[in-house]
Amino acid sequence: MNLWDTWKKGFAAWESATASYLEQVLANPAVLGPAGNMLTVAMKTKSATDKATAAWWAAVGLPTRRDQERSLHKLNQLESRIADLEEQLADARADAPASK
Amino acid sequence: MTTHRPPGILSSLLALAARARRGPPAVGLTPCDEVWRENKWRLLRYRATRPPAERWRTPILLVPSLINRYYVLDLAPGRSFVEYLVAAGHDVFIIDWGTPTAEDRFVTFDDVCHRYLGRAVRKTAAYSPDGVCHVLGYCLGGTLATIYTAAEPARVASLVALAAPIDFAHGGLLATWTRSPGFDVDALVDGFGNVPWPLMQASFQLLKPTANLAKLVGLLDRAWDDEFLDGFMATERWGNDNVSFPGACYRRYIGDLYRDNALVAGTMRLGGKPARLDAIDCPVLAVTFEHDHIVPTAAATALLAHVSSPDQAQLHLRGGHVGAVVSKKAAAGLWPQLSRWWAVRDTDAARGLGDDADDGDAADGHGDADDAGADDDAAADDADGPDADAPAPS
Repeated sequence: MNLWDTWKKGFAAWESATASYLEQVLANPAVLGPAGNMLTVAMKTKSATDKATAAWWAAVGLPTRRDQERSLHKLNQLESRIADLEEQLADARADAPASK
Repeated sequence: MTTHRPPGILSSLLALAARARRGPPAVGLTPCDEVWRENKWRLLRYRATRPPAERWRTPILLVPSLINRYYVLDLAPGRSFVEYLVAAGHDVFIIDWGTPTAEDRFVTFDDVCHRYLGRAVRKTAAYSPDGVCHVLGYCLGGTLATIYTAAEPARVASLVALAAPIDFAHGGLLATWTRSPGFDVDALVDGFGNVPWPLMQASFQLLKPTANLAKLVGLLDRAWDDEFLDGFMATERWGNDNVSFPGACYRRYIGDLYRDNALVAGTMRLGGKPARLDAIDCPVLAVTFEHDHIVPTAAATALLAHVSSPDQAQLHLRGGHVGAVVSKKAAAGLWPQLSRWWAVRDTDAARGLGDDADDGDAADGHGDADDAGADDDAAADDADGPDADAPAPS
């Protein structure tokens, strides 16, 4: 067995033990709680900043980024609804008895 | 295939440097046509390579995970599940979920699972003389396919849940994290809009923090093997090409599935209809992997405990969440078994083969395969390929 193979065996043993230990650490409420709280605080700060920016933008009479996103989403929804209706129409035509 | 032992680390590094000069590998190369496009998603149909008389009657719809690229199932020539199925005479469709942009923060779970997936099922089924299609969902795609089938079973001929989480009480670390009181999904969605893919990728890597290091050691160990390197590079390219999760959809995904476990509890609803697992009575196959650290076996096999299908089976293979599906050795294990499973649930008339259809090799698109689980052991040996532990998330 050469040096590389020996090292790999040692690495595999270390990796297995470390992965198992880290899994316990990452599932520990003492770690999860503060980590989640930090993420939540960061997200709430970002939301508040975005809202403040949007309010300023709207105050000068311009559409906000969120307004534009809503409009685009509505367009996509309309496209989907039209596709739904086309499918229903095709099904209704296929089910209808021949009239001629 | 190269079988020599590497002369040393230096030669491995030189081999890696030489391989790096060739750039990233091409992926998703099986010829296909776009048959539907709506918002960001599209439905692709792969071009048949066999004459009509040699093809199976019922088309197959592949549903990849919402947050990964569809080409994991069509990774590279020789490593492509899609390429294999097309060569075996199946009519294959796949959903490319596309890349959500800022306005898609409002796309809901019902939009994705009922409207978009439903449309894909109906469009695919329209290519079948029977008006039905087989559905295979991979990872989160399997969860979506299962929920859709539970709510709208009419056009689904059979359901294959490939490493798909169903019982989120057994969801492993991901379930533990999303249920922890500190994880505020509303704050996350309100702050980000779409949940960014780097955040999700980081969470998948945290499931096994040493994986990247182990991957590096494995890479150095096999850098002399061109075939291994090709597969490794293609999988890495896919693993680093993820997409963000539509915000409103993510909010309900976490709330209903991870926190309320609504699918197993029987309280899931889709498009205003109940989506109860016991409403599924079509043939069902649950595929699980022994070393899957993303979807534990218990989370996936719960499907079989709750459906009312008389025709149901589990296929348990060695390998990881991704490697067992895309490794070259999957071509000898998982893929033929899936093809055979569909083959015996097809009908003969469309192929003009009558009662003789059971003669021959199922993997070639002609033959019988009545027990996907019968070859478990053989497949197990094959599925654990050199990249079986590729850590790309799904």
